[in-house]
This record gives sequence, C-alpha cells and structure tokens, in this order.
Amino acid sequence: MFSRPSSSLIRGTAQGRYVCQACLRDVRTRRQLVANAQSLRLQSRALQTTTATEEVTPYRKQLKDEAKRQKLEGGSKPAKKKSKAKDSRLEKWELTVGIEIHAELNTARKLFSSAATASSDAPNSHVALFDVAFPGSQPHFQRETLLPALRAAIALNCTVQPKSSFDRKHYFYQDQPNGYQITQYYEPFAKDGHITLFDHDGIAPEDGKSITIGIKQIQMEQDTAKTIQAPPSTHLLDFNRVSHPLIEIITLPHIHHPSTAAACVRKIQTILKTIDAVTAGMELGGLRADVNVSVRERHNTTGTGPENSYYGVTGLGQRTEIKNLSSFKAVEDAIVAERDRQIDVLEGGGIIEGETRGWTLGSKETRKLRGKEGEIDYRYMPDPDLGPVIIGEDLVQALRNTLPKLPDDIASKLVSSAEYGLTMKDAKTMVALDDGERLDYYLDVVQLLHKDLEDDKALQGSVGRVAGNWVLHDLGGLFTTSEEVWSDMKVTSQSLASIISQLLRRHITGRTAKLLLATIFHGDQRTVRQIIEEENMTLRPMSREDYLAAANTLLSDNPDVVQAIKEKGQHGKIMFLVGQMVRRSEEGTMEAKTAESILKELLDIPNGE
Amino acid sequence: MATGRSLICLRAVRPSILLLSNVGRSMPWNIKRHNSSEPLADWEQQLARPSWSVQSLLPSDTQTADAPTISVKQLHHLLRLSALPLPASAEEEAKMLDTLSSQLHFVREIQEVDTKGVEPLRAIRDETSAAEKEQEINLDTLKDALAKEDVIGKHHKRIRRRTDKIDAKDVEDWEVLGYAERKSGKYFVVDSGKS
Repeated sequence: MFSRPSSSLIRGTAQGRYVCQACLRDVRTRRQLVANAQSLRLQSRALQTTTATEEVTPYRKQLKDEAKRQKLEGGSKPAKKKSKAKDSRLEKWELTVGIEIHAELNTARKLFSSAATASSDAPNSHVALFDVAFPGSQPHFQRETLLPALRAAIALNCTVQPKSSFDRKHYFYQDQPNGYQITQYYEPFAKDGHITLFDHDGIAPEDGKSITIGIKQIQMEQDTAKTIQAPPSTHLLDFNRVSHPLIEIITLPHIHHPSTAAACVRKIQTILKTIDAVTAGMELGGLRADVNVSVRERHNTTGTGPENSYYGVTGLGQRTEIKNLSSFKAVEDAIVAERDRQIDVLEGGGIIEGETRGWTLGSKETRKLRGKEGEIDYRYMPDPDLGPVIIGEDLVQALRNTLPKLPDDIASKLVSSAEYGLTMKDAKTMVALDDGERLDYYLDVVQLLHKDLEDDKALQGSVGRVAGNWVLHDLGGLFTTSEEVWSDMKVTSQSLASIISQLLRRHITGRTAKLLLATIFHGDQRTVRQIIEEENMTLRPMSREDYLAAANTLLSDNPDVVQAIKEKGQHGKIMFLVGQMVRRSEEGTMEAKTAESILKELLDIPNGE
Repeated sequence: MATGRSLICLRAVRPSILLLSNVGRSMPWNIKRHNSSEPLADWEQQLARPSWSVQSLLPSDTQTADAPTISVKQLHHLLRLSALPLPASAEEEAKMLDTLSSQLHFVREIQEVDTKGVEPLRAIRDETSAAEKEQEINLDTLKDALAKEDVIGKHHKRIRRRTDKIDAKDVEDWEVLGYAERKSGKYFVVDSGKS
C-alpha cells in the first residue's frame, strides 16, 4: 500500500489515474474515523435547543457584551463606592462563625436497633419497634456503628474518650417518635480536635496561607424521620431514617470569614468521604450544616458581656443560629446575609436577639424561625436505658494505623513529587473524582509510562503532568460529552499509556493522539499499535519548505488577522492561525509546535512571546 | 425487713445518717442497733404507731406562705414543654400551682442532704471494673464488622464497606402501620392543622 495522503489519492482518481481499491478503502475508513470523531462534537451541540432563527453567540462573547453594557449604563464610580462602604463596615465589625455539621454515617444497621439502614427502599420497611417508640421497646446500642464514627474522630485529630454516654434531648415533633432524641451532650465520644485549611481549599484571602479551626467535640446521635409535605396541612412520614446514626461535629468559633466557613464544610465532607465514613454528600442530603453567627466591634470589646464566651473564646457578640443549610453556596450566602443584617441592626442602635433563623436559596436575608420566647428548653438528662460506651485503646490504635490516606496528603504528594508534578488544582480534582477511581487509574498510567520510557530520561520528567492532563481533560471530557459514568474499562490504562508514550516519543501528533483516544473510547478493540499501523497514523514530519508554503498560503488568506497581530499586537490570534494550519493539513503530518514557531518566524515575532 | 424499717424511724431526725444506714450492708443482720437504753420488749410499743411520716417533707401551712411563688407564665411554660394541656379553669390552675409548690418544697427538703462527692445515679448497673472490662468495645468485638469491609484500589488503597443486603427480618418483620390511626399508602399521616 502506498503511504500517500488521502486527498492526493482522491484527486488522483478524479484526474483519471488508477488508484487501487485497497488505498481507496483505506481513505474511506480514515475519513469515517474522522467523521465519527467530529460527529460526536456535533451531536453534543445538537443537544442545545436553539431554533434556526436565533443567533447562537459564543458564551464568552455574551459575557463580554454584558460587561460592556453594564459599564456603559452604570458607570464605574457607584460600584467602587459600594465596595468601599462595605469594606469600611467590615473594618469596624468582626464576624465570628461556629459550625455544627450533621453527617449520616455509612453503617449497615441503625444506631439503637438492628434494623437495616437502607433508606431508599419502600417507606416504613426498615423499622424496628424502638424506631417508632412502640411502648415497652428498649434501645440496643449497635456497636458496629462506632467504626465510621471513630475513623471520623481520628481523621479530625480528636482525642477519643475511653468512656462516653448517651443523653436525652427532649422536644416534641412529628418526626421524633420518642419525644426525645438520644444524643451525647454531657460526655461525647471525641473531643478537642482540629482541622487545617489552606489557601488552595478556598479560604478567604484575609486568612492567609492556612488557618486551623478547632473542633470542640464529635458526638453520636439519632436521625429523625423523613417528612413529605402534602399540602395544605398534612405530612407523610417515613420512619426508615429514624435512628440512622449521625455524627455531629461542632467547631469552635475560630472562623471569621464566610468563604472560610464554606471551605471548612467542604473540606470536612471530603475527608469523611475519603475514609468511607459517609456515603452521601450535601447535595444528596447526607450532610447538613447549622451555623452560629455573631459580630463584634474589632477595637472595642468592652461592650460585649463576659457571658458571651464559648469554650475559651471570649468577648463574642450575641449569636443567632441559622439552621438547615443544604449546600456550600448556601452556607456562604447565608452567613453574609446574616452578618449584614446584624451590622445593620447594631449600627441602628438595636440589639441582636438570640434567635433561630432559616435561609432559602436565592433570598436576600435570613428569616426568623423561632424567637427567644420560643426557645426550647431541652432538659438534657442521661439516658437510663443505655449503658456507657467503653472504647478500647487497641481499637483506636488499629483504626489509626489502617486509616486511608487523607486527601491533603495525597494531593501534596501529587504536587511535590517529581514523579507526578501536578498543579494543586489538578491534584485535588483527581483525588475527588469518581470516589478515588480516577486517581487509581492515573497512578497506574503513570507507572506504566515510567516503565515504558525507562530508556528516555529526558521524557520522564513530563510524564506525570502530561498523563494528568490526558486523564482529567481529554479522557474525562469524552466521558462528560457522552454523559457516561467513569469506567476504567472503556480505555484501559495500558491503552492510554501507549497513546501517551507514542505521543511523547513524537511518533504521532497531538491531533492524532486525540483521535486515537476517541476511537478506542467508542469501542475499537484493536491495540493502539495496531490502529496506528493500520490507519497509517504515524507522524510523517513535513519538511521546512512544506511548512513555509502552508504558512504563507494561510497568511495570504487571512490578511486582516495578520494586520491585527502585526499592528495591534494581538498575539493571541497566533494560536487561531496555528489551529487553522493544522486543520488544513493532512492527518499525522503537521505538529502544532513547529507550526507555531514557523508562523512566528514569518510574522517577525520572537519565539518567547 | 422489720429491723431496717425501725432503723429509719429512729434516725429520721438526722437525714445524713438515713443514707448511711441503708448502705450499711457490711453490718451483720443480728447486731442490735439502738441508741437508747430502752429494753427490747418495748419494740412492740415502738412499732405500734409511726414516728415519722413523709408529711414532714411537705410544707406546713406557715411554710407555704413563705415559699417563692410560681407565676402563671412559668406554669404555662412548663406545661407546654411537656406537651400537657393548659388548665381549663381558674380553680384547676390554682390547684396546679398549689401542688407544684408543695412538690418543690419536697425537693428542697431532699436537697438538704449533703451529696458532695456522690455521682448522681443514672441506672442500676454493674459499675465494677470487671464489668467495664466486659463491656469494652475492642478489636475483637468489631471483628465481624471489619470483616465486612474491603480494601479496594490498585495503587490508591481505600476502604469500602460491602453493601450486601442485610437480613434484619427478626426486627423488621411486623406490621408497622398496623396501629396507625391515619395512613396513606405506606406512609403515616400527620395533620399539622396549619394551612
């Protein structure tokens, strides 16, 4: 088979020259592969429901137009004034936030009965007698529920108490059959922990590179029933969720900025998921947060009373509690709204009432749920039906030794070690995706690549980074566009390692490599080497003259772009030209880097820009 | 036991010793315990009429006048906390306040006992160190639960609890909605009355 570019073959046929059937077939299949790859891109666009009459403007352009319009209308001065006013208020008032997180534990059975915890089954199908407070029923502490709870305590650096006990928290509500919730108020099982947040976790810039938030205690408690509203006034109750084990993590009021609070909740969720302590995150209702917000004057702490101190943090203002925040954004927005409301009240000469408030997504202010008059006296008392929880030291030690690596440690290893060399952002994404499966796949690919490229020391350095880009963006992108769930069998780590290895050795171009990936993703069973051979994808490097010829043709076809680059200095448009050049060229001939340097040479732009 | 009861009667005046006498199990049962020189034969006479009544812990008429008053607002707050109905009439309210007042007096009398260093009792339970050792939750106790977890991952090792179906028939197999006053399909129905 002649290894000639397909276009010249077709041209040849049109001109009456004989082209063998094998070559034509070869051309047809290659065109088909390209068409397949392109049709995928087109298919995803077809999902947009715009009619032919509407103009489809690129999103970036839309944002630019919007910004331009706002600038013309509003004028820049008012915007600056508003932010200046806000900053001066924050100069005067300091915010303090404490967070209480309730997380549903990943256990087989419930906390005080041996019923199963599957809460997505038919309603009221996993209910023991005690779960609906049947008269005469007794709680039986299920000791297996301690496993994820202890792991959470260890991961959050708490001291596990050898002896802890359960208390009753009395209040009446339809989702609480007993009339009290069994919790650990006086003697929680873990105390005095801490969690460290870094700048890459998304804390406020004012908090610097890192901030450590103290954790007062972690306690075990029961969950309540699920209520479904059936308007106007009835509620349907499903008791599957009653007595599902929860842990409540109470932080100390060490947080002073809303974004830090959201980052704290996010990080705690990530840690709990990594150690398999919880299965569902905030989005699925498996984790809920309540926040306590107060403000005080930065430079005048004499106004606040000594009664307003909390576990060693003194001089705090009166706090209000915002309950049932169900997303990270809600946490941040609710704190900002409540802080502003409290500052407004205090600056207007009023006082803050110790209330419970609620927040709905999209509102501008928190709303009052319960005032001080309606404050509930929980009348905590030790539960006489349950004995103390005595935890052996050997168990704690064993769990500490077998605790899975925490996301911080994994991410820092991925960033700092020369073997991987990822950016912190990529490292954290890698750790978080697909329950750790994506990371496992990536590590396998890197290991295979290092082995494959043993002979080439120069390439070894870039292996980790390149593989990271391919696993996260290229392969990840394919899964996203076809809306499939991640699987490491679609493109095996061996296949991806082969593709990258061929690319790094410059046997194929970047464009070819992407095509290869798409081909295998869509079910081609051949090995990478086979496809490259059969489809003739090996790089046939163009000569310098060919490059210059193609570049000159392109430049003469786009005089306005050339003008923009040369005269207005819009060097960004060079990449547009590179893309055009590569697209016009034959499959597997042009390399983007060389094309770029040729173009820059022709346009008299030094290579550094 | 008769001996026990007579001991309480004799020592009613000194409540601190009242506690001790109940705990004094170390004393053999047949030791004669009495603080007077009265002959033993008089025990019939002594037991003929009570020498102590719980009335001593309740307020006398003079004492009720001195007691701190409970406001109607406080009474209503307490009733609401316990989900009890508010009094229907003024007499019922007065009676409730009266009863509450004497109950509080009773508690104040009991609080006269010096309980320094005595941990409040939570339940009658074996609190010896041997029992604690038995109740301890250690590796051995949780070995079954640990066996139900897998370590997954080739390079990035992590723990996953196996989520096979659990057989909880022994506790779940009963007619949950059988006693429900109102139900709708498989749900319990509660009417909050607010629309």
